[in-house]
Amino acid sequence: MRQFDETLQFIDNLDHADSPQAVCKLLVGVTGNFGLTALMAGTVPRAGTPRTRQKSHVLLCDWPSQWLERYVEKNYVDRDPVVLYMRQSPTLVQWRDAAQKLQIGPGGREVLGDAGQFHLKDGFAFPLITLEGTMVMVSLGGEDVDISPEGQGMVSLVSTYAIGRAMQLYHSEAIFDQRPDLTPREIECLKWAAEGKSEWEISRILAISEHTSEKHLLNAKRKLGAVNRVHAVAEAIRLGYIS
Amino acid sequence: MIYALSTTELNELPELKDAVHRLRHDIFVDEMGWEDLRTSEGFETDQFDHEEAVHHLCMRNGRLAGYQRMLPTTRPHLLTDVLCDLCEGESPRGKNVWELTRYAVAPAYRDGRRGVSTVGSELIAGFVEWGLSSGVDQVIIEFEPMWVLRALQLSFLARPLGYQRTYGRQQVVATLLTFNEQTLEVVRNRRNHHAPVITQGGWDLLACRQAS
Repeated sequence: MRQFDETLQFIDNLDHADSPQAVCKLLVGVTGNFGLTALMAGTVPRAGTPRTRQKSHVLLCDWPSQWLERYVEKNYVDRDPVVLYMRQSPTLVQWRDAAQKLQIGPGGREVLGDAGQFHLKDGFAFPLITLEGTMVMVSLGGEDVDISPEGQGMVSLVSTYAIGRAMQLYHSEAIFDQRPDLTPREIECLKWAAEGKSEWEISRILAISEHTSEKHLLNAKRKLGAVNRVHAVAEAIRLGYIS
Repeated sequence: MIYALSTTELNELPELKDAVHRLRHDIFVDEMGWEDLRTSEGFETDQFDHEEAVHHLCMRNGRLAGYQRMLPTTRPHLLTDVLCDLCEGESPRGKNVWELTRYAVAPAYRDGRRGVSTVGSELIAGFVEWGLSSGVDQVIIEFEPMWVLRALQLSFLARPLGYQRTYGRQQVVATLLTFNEQTLEVVRNRRNHHAPVITQGGWDLLACRQAS
């Protein structure tokens, strides 16, 4: 109960934090008790995201600045076992388990070895999914981590509140793509268009008129801001409506 | 469109009532693994489907697309009688506090997204709208922890009532959400849909449809 009161107090304090840096400091103040002294939270960049754009994915970060520079400079995000694991199966994972389960090669080992140089020996990461379906990864680590499963539950709960507060401070609208609202029918038509089907074929498959399938695709094209059908399909894939 | 029905009203619409309890079974037992609720008939009901419960049915072209149930905290509810270990202290009670349970979006209406579907966000707009017009400004929800982030994105004031625990295949955390007119405004803006989502005099409309 006493610990829970502290958790509530922490959440109250978050409401008074007036910058992401202040949020970060508060959160590390709590996680530090478990040896989790380093924090990184942000949206996961797609593989191959240019280095210049990687930092814009960061929501909260208190990594040693030299480690952050090195991470970006060496493009570690595309090799970091924790990031790779999170892209593949978005669930809570210990850093060392991620490395083991993915059977990482020299590239991944280099990242972990380098992290160790900056006193980041182990930790854990977990995903959060925003309203828009964007994944935010929270990764916490340190040199001497000691945390029970209950502790992990507490840390992930307070981290969620911290990320929520940071997003309010950043005006999340500016960070996340505002995805257009496609209807289920429009998505269905796009799916078949992605399979190379013509409007007439789509109309047969979905038992609608050719005119209707044409209309769905035109609406989808307009909503996606696409110049033609191929572009619309590409946008729909990029935004995660179809795979 | 969302129809807010009393249990008595729902009972008078047998087809819809079946659809509600089947959807609840599909989602909470089959999908989320709350095995205690399993029944051989595939319909989920519990002791809280009493006369004071309010059922929100989100309909699409005459079909049940989503559902949630509102329970008054002035009598026993899930947090006090079933999910007690999710609450660390005194559970919030009062005429202005209701518990939202069995939030469910039928699989066909999830828009293939990881985020919140149109039906899902309509249910959210629905309970805020319903609350503001019924003198309710706080809702207890037992949901997956990641919903906390979404609630904060929608400008709810959120406070945990305890730590998360595992139920079925999920982690669940009891949370108290406080809202006002401004919250409704934010929810509507994020949905890009500003008209009310709860129908007035909904039962008659549904009854007509079922009869025809």
